[in-house]
Amino acid sequence: MCSGRVDPTIILEAFLSKADGVFVGACRRGECHYVTGNLQAEGKVNLTKKVLSYIGLHPERLVMEWMSSGEGGRFVECVTSFQEEIRKLGPLGKGEGIGTEELQLKLTAAQRVMEGKKLRWVVSKRLEFKEKGNLYGEVFTEHEISRLFDEVVMDELTLQEILLRLRMEPLSAKTLSGMINIAPSRILRHLADMKRMGLVSVSTEDDGRSPVWKAV
Amino acid sequence: MARLVDEMEELRIGVFVCHCGTNIAGFLDPREVAEYAGTLPDVVFVKENLFSCSQSGVTEIQNAIKENQLNRVVVAACTPRTHEPTFRAACEDAGLNPFFFEFVNIREHCSWVHKGMAEEATHKAKDLVRMGVARARYLEPREPIVADVEPAALVIGGGVSGLTAALSLANRGIEVKLVEREEELGGMLRRIFRLYPSNIDAREFIARQVEAVEGHPRIEVFTCSTVEGLQGYIGNYRATISSQGVNKREVHVGVIIVATGAAQLDLGEVYGYDGKRVITLIELEERLRNGELGAKNVVMIKCVGARVPERLYCSRICCMTSIKNAILIKEKDPEARVHILYRDLMCYGVDNEALLRKAKESGVRFINYSLERPPIMENGRVRVHSDILGKEIGINADLVVLVTPMVSQDGVEELSRLLKVPLDGDRFFLEAHVKLRPLDFATDGIYVCGTAHWPASVSESIEQALGATARASTYLINKRVTVEPIFSMLLDEDLCRGCGLCASLCPYAAIEMVQTEKGIKAQMIAVACKGCGTCGASCYRRAIKMNHYTDEQLIAQVRAAFSG
Repeated sequence: MCSGRVDPTIILEAFLSKADGVFVGACRRGECHYVTGNLQAEGKVNLTKKVLSYIGLHPERLVMEWMSSGEGGRFVECVTSFQEEIRKLGPLGKGEGIGTEELQLKLTAAQRVMEGKKLRWVVSKRLEFKEKGNLYGEVFTEHEISRLFDEVVMDELTLQEILLRLRMEPLSAKTLSGMINIAPSRILRHLADMKRMGLVSVSTEDDGRSPVWKAV
Repeated sequence: MARLVDEMEELRIGVFVCHCGTNIAGFLDPREVAEYAGTLPDVVFVKENLFSCSQSGVTEIQNAIKENQLNRVVVAACTPRTHEPTFRAACEDAGLNPFFFEFVNIREHCSWVHKGMAEEATHKAKDLVRMGVARARYLEPREPIVADVEPAALVIGGGVSGLTAALSLANRGIEVKLVEREEELGGMLRRIFRLYPSNIDAREFIARQVEAVEGHPRIEVFTCSTVEGLQGYIGNYRATISSQGVNKREVHVGVIIVATGAAQLDLGEVYGYDGKRVITLIELEERLRNGELGAKNVVMIKCVGARVPERLYCSRICCMTSIKNAILIKEKDPEARVHILYRDLMCYGVDNEALLRKAKESGVRFINYSLERPPIMENGRVRVHSDILGKEIGINADLVVLVTPMVSQDGVEELSRLLKVPLDGDRFFLEAHVKLRPLDFATDGIYVCGTAHWPASVSESIEQALGATARASTYLINKRVTVEPIFSMLLDEDLCRGCGLCASLCPYAAIEMVQTEKGIKAQMIAVACKGCGTCGASCYRRAIKMNHYTDEQLIAQVRAAFSG
């Protein structure tokens, strides 16, 4: 199996199954057994690290190392330092001060984000955007792509988290803002978008002043 | 035809725990692992084997399949690299589809690396078995793919390796297309004087090869030509050969042999290189051929630009080439003084060692220097610090020969991308496995030989060329190829939106976008797919299934890893 087969949703499945760390070993750059699978994996792993850090987890819990299948010594070094690093970080969630339920919710939101069309498309097109450019011939730098990811990840994560929380109970934008730690105005913008997409609606149980939202 | 298990049939999993003599049993408790396996869901049969791979072990597995109606077999033993075929065949012989077999490695991945930690190793072996059983539940039957092979070969490179490969294949009745980018065939050997250790004339030798190739009825030679396009897969490659940049022709071949050779490193003006009094090794060969050495005091400096931080590898052939030339100089002019300044001597093999002795006996002086204190050029002299004597020596020199390493050819990156085969860090072509598949690429049907692979002597290049053609012939002569049925497939045509993402990511051009009744859809070419799974990990519609490494199988394994 090539590292290119590593799907971010499977990495998140490991964290959801209470893994404290995930290690992805890939062929060295330019020496991939499957030509370019390792570079695809690199993009996906880096994106997943970004997502982990947005949900408040140490991105160092996910590690990708480059090595050839002939480099047993290097494998041992990498795995040893990986496990030492993870030991320092402590158990998943505890090391970050996130409670079990909150952690499951955030990881579930993260998994849905990585399941989504937008990020899967952009991360897979990353190399092409860098080398050949997009449909309009615009070539992107790594920095620009990273910023693009930042925006998309944040938006998608907020959307998924709002959706998951509203599935449990109807909430106001203000309450959501406190839970997710994002300004109420931005939460509201998301809610408006989500309403247009038919994902949420204003609940009838509103108190008359600040509307309460529920998942559709 | 092996039995396919009905989807509705209940799962009956058999687990076999191998002792591997003491390789596994010496470092963990296989009994405890086996007992644990028996507690896992749907496991109906468990057995320990002293050696699962032995005849008796295989018989035990086969009997268990038949007597207990097993429809999944998990063997916890060693590595699939060597033993997966054995156990798959055992299942098939017992009437079970071989893809219902799951290998768990509790030797390399466990007992061997946790020696002296029996308790932890046993615990980990149980985890690994639990993961294997979890995956086995989702295994699906597969049938091997058999494809026709076009009995023709494309050989890229017309040096000694390519010529040898072309002749070897053509003499077996295979049609050969030989592509050489220069005007003439023959490659590097046209510039060499004599070959070590046989002392035969390189140009005469290569001229005979060229003549045989050019006159062969089954070899078509394309000079001033390059390969510009490639499509297809083992047995059915379609290559576009471009001659002088204009004439393009498509050829249909079953296999491809890469024999593009190497070049001599050109370092420019190091050590005062001027092409007259300071020359390269190849220039020395030319002078020796013409009988115009023009010097009485010759100093050869080895490892110039080799085994330095930017080029760590040893070029292997330069030691023997300079020793051979030193002997030739001394034979022609016994009064000539020849010094070889070296960092290490690479004279492997009986013949080469004999040549080194001969050089020493004929008066060639060998002086060891270190990377930290390289020789210094002065007017008509070379100063070098001898590590053995522990002092600096001055040597008269009216000719200095710089022995630079072989480096990979220009244009290898383009060829590597075109053929979808990898290069190593030094831009030499990288084989599938250094020991198990030294002349194959990971891409089936493409082989490598000679100095395109790594610096090699002429005899090594010939050996590799013959080896590569022997590997290629197994397909060319059988005219059929069985391909591992681990390929991606479209799970559901309705899910596919025809976006083309998978096709653009596929490193093997194994996915085509085709017009169907339902619009544009992805179509996988199973024989061309190598099973990397990049498409499956990327499709945002989840329309692609990576056979034998399905999402269900991987997720089951991941969950099982932490459920103990």
